[in-house]
Amino acid sequence: MTTPTAGPALEVRGLTKRFGGVIAVDACSFEAPLGQVTGLIGPNGAGKSTAIDLISGFKLPDSGTVLFKGREIQGLPPHQISRLGLIRTFQSPREWPGLTVLENVVMARWDPGREGFFSGLVGLGRAHRVKAEDELIQAREILDEFGLSALRNERAGNLSGGQKRLVEFARIRMAAPELVILDEPMGGVNPVLGERMALAIEGFIASGTSVIVVEHNLPFIERVTHHVIVMAQGTVIAEGPFESLRSNADVVDAYLGEQVRQ
Amino acid sequence: MSAYLVSVLTEGAIFGIMALGLNVIWGWSGDFDLAYYGYIAVGAYMTLVLTIGAPIAPAQYILGATLPYPLAVVIAVISAMAVALVVGSIALGHLRGIYFSIVTLGAVYVMYVFAGQFVPLFDGYNGLSGLFDPMGDWFGLDYFSYQYFLMGLCLVMFALVYFLMSRVSSSRFGMALRTLREDERAAAAFGRDIYRLKLKGYLLGAALGGFAGALFAAYLTAFNTSAWSPIEVIVLYSAVLVGGRGNIRGVALGVVIMGLIVNESTRFLPSLPGVGAFNTDHPQVLLAARGAIIGLVLVLFLRFRPQGLLPERRFVDRQPAQPATDVAPLTA
Amino acid sequence: MHAALLTLGFGIVTASILALSAVAFTLQYGVTNVANVSHGEILTIGAYAAYLVHQRTGSAPAAALAAALAGGLTALAMYSSVIGPFIHFGASPTVIFIATLGLSFVIQNVLVIIFGASNVAYNLDPGAPQQIGPFLLNPLDQQIVISAIAITVVLFFIISRTKFGKALRAVSQNRELARVTGINATRVAAATFFLAGLIAGYAGFVLAETVGSFTPYFGFGFFLITLTAAVAGGLGRAFGTMAGAVIVGIVLEVVPALPVPFVGGYISASYNLAIAFGILALVILFRPRGLFTNARRTVFE
Repeated sequence: MTTPTAGPALEVRGLTKRFGGVIAVDACSFEAPLGQVTGLIGPNGAGKSTAIDLISGFKLPDSGTVLFKGREIQGLPPHQISRLGLIRTFQSPREWPGLTVLENVVMARWDPGREGFFSGLVGLGRAHRVKAEDELIQAREILDEFGLSALRNERAGNLSGGQKRLVEFARIRMAAPELVILDEPMGGVNPVLGERMALAIEGFIASGTSVIVVEHNLPFIERVTHHVIVMAQGTVIAEGPFESLRSNADVVDAYLGEQVRQ
Repeated sequence: MSAYLVSVLTEGAIFGIMALGLNVIWGWSGDFDLAYYGYIAVGAYMTLVLTIGAPIAPAQYILGATLPYPLAVVIAVISAMAVALVVGSIALGHLRGIYFSIVTLGAVYVMYVFAGQFVPLFDGYNGLSGLFDPMGDWFGLDYFSYQYFLMGLCLVMFALVYFLMSRVSSSRFGMALRTLREDERAAAAFGRDIYRLKLKGYLLGAALGGFAGALFAAYLTAFNTSAWSPIEVIVLYSAVLVGGRGNIRGVALGVVIMGLIVNESTRFLPSLPGVGAFNTDHPQVLLAARGAIIGLVLVLFLRFRPQGLLPERRFVDRQPAQPATDVAPLTA
Repeated sequence: MHAALLTLGFGIVTASILALSAVAFTLQYGVTNVANVSHGEILTIGAYAAYLVHQRTGSAPAAALAAALAGGLTALAMYSSVIGPFIHFGASPTVIFIATLGLSFVIQNVLVIIFGASNVAYNLDPGAPQQIGPFLLNPLDQQIVISAIAITVVLFFIISRTKFGKALRAVSQNRELARVTGINATRVAAATFFLAGLIAGYAGFVLAETVGSFTPYFGFGFFLITLTAAVAGGLGRAFGTMAGAVIVGIVLEVVPALPVPFVGGYISASYNLAIAFGILALVILFRPRGLFTNARRTVFE
């Protein structure tokens, strides 16, 4: 795989979105470096979720640009952004509940050659079978890695919240995007699982997937990120390594202070 | 084989194809499409206007060709898909849930009203007739042997469609349709063009509907708006639901069960002679009793067994599982 | 000009009946978030009840009362036997939509078994038409329009001023929140269905006397138009729905009377349903939350 040697994984410039009279995202600009874990934090209502929706195509921005691999992707529909190699997760796990865990993982990879109607009918040839078999083997390996092997024939909807998060991580691994945006991966998850999530994120980096992670759990952010972006009121108010932000007055005021005071 | 059995099997095979088509849209894509019967009707009407020749006054209808039946069937299927393309591209764009159902209900009523009222199209409420024994003279069949031929044709076609749908069911295309049913956002996040994919599924379903309609036209020799009666439509939805949405074996089972109910249920009604009301020998009352039973079956299944008798089967990986490393702490 | 006003007069009568039916439908939708597809059968049962009572007593007010009562009980039975249990069981709105479609089919067929499928003639003497303002309306039409307005006023009072109305609004806005604040959502929903049934049953009576005949299928056809009005007005919004009903009712009477050449004649009234659904499709596509709110949604927003 050839990755561009220079340039960030994602570059956001002046992204803006209004809902009625409320500005949810206000001229938001930031970069996520290639091959690193970028944290995106901020108080509730800071516009993080909206920003992710705008970047991933689930909402249309009013203005601003989003550059992924040097290409403008703002305004593209979600599936095209996903096909370019930018995949996102959601605040609540969105597994395909009626499908098994294994099927969830296999179907995480979009396969243009084999997903058409006719390839389903005529795809009985040897090459087709071999490819399907390869895919199955790979999915099994990924499930092993996440400790989900024993659950692979279980319907994903029957899993616990933490297990669903792991399925989501396994799906990302299968899809192997160049950038993944994780939306609150620790939400509703047993803290014991935190270390496993952190290792999984390191695994993404090792396999060539850059990561943006939105999270309220600051110890987790501290543990996994190289670089943190702080949003408040729809815009970026600070960025830098997590350590440097502890002493930033704006950040303490907007976000960390909120927790200190509580 | 009695004539009764021949007609039941022929009808059953045709309904089976209709149900398999509906299953693509409702079972796999997960959209409760009420316009589906419209595609069956388009298939039937188009087959007729392409085979029965020019209208004789006062009848009037479009085309009036005398094409060979198989060619007419192909064009009829394409026509059904064309209508589905119009409805689908409107309804599948932004609408989901009951809004989709309401718009497709509207679409089927518009089709129904036009078929019934707009006489130059398909001769209004009179409808079309005169498709006698298509392909029969190719094989030199008389009226009685033709009934067997048609039954065989419909059963073979059902088997073929069943085989194709079982392939689609386990293909990535079938799986991709199910990801839309299960969670559309996740499907889009993992690269599925939900609109195009849903539209493809919709057209596949409509094509099967149109094809079944074309066979239906040959079986009935005619088609008019009375063939659109709600009972025909509800039976179809009940069959898919009762058997098991998404499971083609289930759908086939559902067709058999609903076929039994339609044909046999009223046999056990006590004979109550009366004047009009409650007279269980009256054909109208028999039909209504049948309808009430079918409606009741639909409601009861939705409430007590929405997955149907044969729930959708999932792929089970039989490879020996790796020993679970540390599954225990995951149960948050 | 005269003909146009005449048509508009008919439109107002149609709109009045439609407004009653649509507001009843939307009340049910508001408290349950479920579209009751068997709503039309409340009208049908109201019409049969009115007919039977009218035959025996010869009194139109008694017939109206019977229609309302029968409608109220029918709606209550629908809620407690099907809609309520399905909601309790956690069924999705689409599943309940399908279930009430099945229920509608059951009721229609049971009515056929009891009364037969043929037309029941229900002709009342409408009286001589009178000039009311610019319109020519007979006394029957006048009664319909006046009663629709009166019912609207009473309903407005109930919803805005009574304790029940407050609970109804609370449940419509947020079922969970209402429950937390000690409102018994199930009882409020049941009472709302009864109230909606009273209105729909009465609507069935006035519709039957306006049309002059009915069958077991009569309510279902009108339900489809009701649905258009309710969606146009914004599902679940009582007074928006009334406005939607007035617009749809008038359009349905006016469009067929327009001198638009259409294959050798004018657009026949039999195209009513097609026109209604044309409006419905446009509204859903361009104003999915109704004509009177301004919000377009995409699949994901």
